[in-house]
Amino acid sequence: MQMSRMGSPSVGMEDDIGSGHALSDFLLQLENYNPSIPDSVVAYYLNMAGFESQDPRLVRLIALASQKLLSDIANDALQHCKMRTSSQVTQTSKNQKGPKEKKYVMTMDDLVPALQEYGITAKKPHYFV
Amino acid sequence: MTESTEKVENICDARRRILNIAVSTVLLETGFDAADKVSLETLTEMIQCFITEVGNSARGYCELAGRVEPVLGDVSMALINMGISLQGIEQYAARPSRHIIQPPQQASVPRTPSMLSAGSKAKPAPHIPFHLPPLPDPHAYIRTPTHKQPVTEYEAIREKAATQKRDIERALTKFLSKTSETHNLFNTEDNQVYPLIACKPTFPSYLPALLPTDQVFDFDELEYHFQVANRTEDMPADKKENSDNEGDNGGDNENANNSQSETQDAPLGSSPDRNKSGG
Repeated sequence: MQMSRMGSPSVGMEDDIGSGHALSDFLLQLENYNPSIPDSVVAYYLNMAGFESQDPRLVRLIALASQKLLSDIANDALQHCKMRTSSQVTQTSKNQKGPKEKKYVMTMDDLVPALQEYGITAKKPHYFV
Repeated sequence: MTESTEKVENICDARRRILNIAVSTVLLETGFDAADKVSLETLTEMIQCFITEVGNSARGYCELAGRVEPVLGDVSMALINMGISLQGIEQYAARPSRHIIQPPQQASVPRTPSMLSAGSKAKPAPHIPFHLPPLPDPHAYIRTPTHKQPVTEYEAIREKAATQKRDIERALTKFLSKTSETHNLFNTEDNQVYPLIACKPTFPSYLPALLPTDQVFDFDELEYHFQVANRTEDMPADKKENSDNEGDNGGDNENANNSQSETQDAPLGSSPDRNKSGG
């Protein structure tokens, strides 16, 4: 916790310390919670990076963080998708189903702007070597 | 080589597939009904890179603090460094609409049954550390002789040699008495009881006395010469008849030597009569 104090000497420091404490409590709750990504897979990728932990809760925390990131990006992509389909719905009047029951297909057109907001640029190469 | 790379890729493929499933689960939960293959792969790659990056970063913080095992603080620092808020995680965990569809936990791969193993592996001795690989099959390093050790006592060997010699002589005489010409001990008709092996005298019988022989230094060499001299396979036909006259038992030493040298020097056209007439 001293590191966080040194690293961010801003006003939001207390929030970080507070969240750090909360996280340690949260870690205890994590024992019962299983994220969607299995522990072994996450542990494998962490081991590839050199991160070896005997505590499975840390692994689950990282899995949860990645899952949350994924769901955030997916939500943003869904927003993009809805924006696109709602503009199409208003144009076509043949639509009998409500917009809620419309099927949403995620394509690269939705994903790329969602990733852009997170700083990830995903570009398809123009040619394949 | 391609097989090994394929195998490595298969091992990674399994984890990638699990990540794919997890990503699909999250997408379903978000509200999507279908997804593009390309976007799915993109998201999977992103998740894999994210996990690797968090691990790398957390390890860096951990080592920076002089520790070896990462702690919660390292992980939180890594997440903060990447721009992920820590409060959101807790809220996300407590969301009500989360799917409990869990990807199946992989069972451990069953070990291939050990084939081509003969016998049970011996237990390692207590001075061998346990983390070393197990001992190989016992037939690889333990040698048991397939027969009894031969007797090396002098007496036994002498006795054995003597019995062998006696048996050989007996068997050989029996064989010769059955196959070659025999004399009768008694002056009766053909009697099978006590056959004597017929003696075939060389003609003329006084010839060895007339022709002196040199000293025989090496009996083995003499025997070899004799055998080579009596070989009829390579000699032309006319010589074969003459050499057949040579006696079977011992013959003429000088004859044998001379005929052998003759055959070596001039196989075609020498005058063999002078040497071979005595045969």
